[in-house]
Amino acid sequence: MEPNGTQNVLIVGVGGQGVILASDILGVVCMNRGYQVKKSEVHGMAKRGGVVYSHVRYGAQVLSPTIEPGTSDVLLAFEPAEALRWSKYVKPGGTIIVNSRKRIPPAACQDRRMDAPTRYPQGIEQALRGQVGDVRQFDAEELAVEIGDHRMCNTVLLGALSSVCEFELQDWLGAIAASVKPKTVERNQKAFLAGRNAQFAAMRDSLPSEKCEMSRSVTCLDAPEIAIHDSWCKGCEICVVVCPQACLKMNERNRAEVVKAEACIRCMLCEWMCPDLAVRVQ
Amino acid sequence: MFDFREYLRMEMFPHMLCPGCGHGIVLGALLRAIHSLKLTKDEIVVVSGIGCSSRLAGYVDFNTLHTTHGRPLAFATGIKLARPELTVIVITGDGDGLSIGGNHLIHAARRNVGLTCLLLNNQIYGMTGGQFAPTTQIGRVSTTSPKGQYETPFDSCKLAEAAGASFVARGITYEPSALEKLIVAAIENKGFSFLEVASDCPEFFGRFNKLGNPADQILMQKQNVVDVEAAAALPAERLRGKMLTGILHHEPRPEYGAVYAESVA
Repeated sequence: MEPNGTQNVLIVGVGGQGVILASDILGVVCMNRGYQVKKSEVHGMAKRGGVVYSHVRYGAQVLSPTIEPGTSDVLLAFEPAEALRWSKYVKPGGTIIVNSRKRIPPAACQDRRMDAPTRYPQGIEQALRGQVGDVRQFDAEELAVEIGDHRMCNTVLLGALSSVCEFELQDWLGAIAASVKPKTVERNQKAFLAGRNAQFAAMRDSLPSEKCEMSRSVTCLDAPEIAIHDSWCKGCEICVVVCPQACLKMNERNRAEVVKAEACIRCMLCEWMCPDLAVRVQ
Repeated sequence: MFDFREYLRMEMFPHMLCPGCGHGIVLGALLRAIHSLKLTKDEIVVVSGIGCSSRLAGYVDFNTLHTTHGRPLAFATGIKLARPELTVIVITGDGDGLSIGGNHLIHAARRNVGLTCLLLNNQIYGMTGGQFAPTTQIGRVSTTSPKGQYETPFDSCKLAEAAGASFVARGITYEPSALEKLIVAAIENKGFSFLEVASDCPEFFGRFNKLGNPADQILMQKQNVVDVEAAAALPAERLRGKMLTGILHHEPRPEYGAVYAESVA
């Protein structure tokens, strides 16, 4: 990025990923370098997996706090589908940095049977490349987990962002130290460097193969006594705990499963106390 | 054989409530109660406001109305006056019914309109991310009370009783069978029936207050309640900090719609 005029960075993601903190850190870096910074964001949508975005604009003088579509220098997307949603904001010749780790929203997986297709968009990377030439995609969460905490994903992505900004490494590390909780400074800086180095190594990997994150199956709809609607079960474990006969247990997919149907005394507690109406005793 | 699925809008399932949310248990109890009363689907109107609890109206295959925040009782009053033969059930939450809709609640109770109001009390605004509600107990942590709530919560049953409800009861999701019977009794009462159901929010209440997993939380309910009949024989110190469950008040008096019909006859 050339520091002439106003630079636009759009940071987008899903609620809870740390979009706001990442944009705050970027803001601190810019201010410490003497730029005027304006920031506009939507927050609070986080709690049910909503869209969170933060516009960051910096330069000698910034007038409006929001970025116009087609003018953003960089789009830093914490999630592939969010990258697609916001890609029209990127200017021709701009850069998109994408975390390849998907967050499939509940609305896209109402059909929770095994192997049921989600309504999550397909072919995101190709679509992004069709719109903007410079698409850098990598699995930031994997790097964060290697460092020891998946919540550091936002700092990893900030590290990737730093590879296309003109600021010095020390500016970034100082801003991180000033913005995160003291006991996490060291790990955050490590995560930042991991993301930065990964970008400088021009690591680009493709979208991982469609992994069904919520495995599903209808296992025991036809069981003689207790039927568990597997695709409705959300794995709260209440039925397993309240059953006086230990007829049920949680399986490896965190769904309730009948293991001792013959012991059932028809007390009905599992059916009556299932918050998802997924259990029927026939 | 009772099959709750005949009362559901199956295409809406699985529902959007979080894992372990007590509201689904209330939904099951409501369906069983309606089944045991032998009401047909067309005789029932379910009216709800805004919030997690109010989403239940969308999952049941009756006449349903999803209304504005806090106002389900006002809409329901209109329905009951226009079509007195219908069974009108209002599903509301503690934030919806007691905070923004608090005024509608006390006036519906005062008038003794022939409604059944199910107030699902999970002590939190779950849908918006866990802000404290007018029923959040002192000391409880929420997003808006990070150091613990310090406002005195409502006792919604006492509030409804004082406002004039002819039937007031409290149930808990830990006792789904008793809850079903309370719903039956509430629907059978001709005037305004107020039924508070203590429900759980494992996601925003349980997690913030470190109450363990959904199963831990629902088992914990048992320690906080005393049945109103058992309470009569217990000394006061055994009742301190406990919630009373069961039918707390039942005093039939003329229903608003009937009185109104008479006055205009």
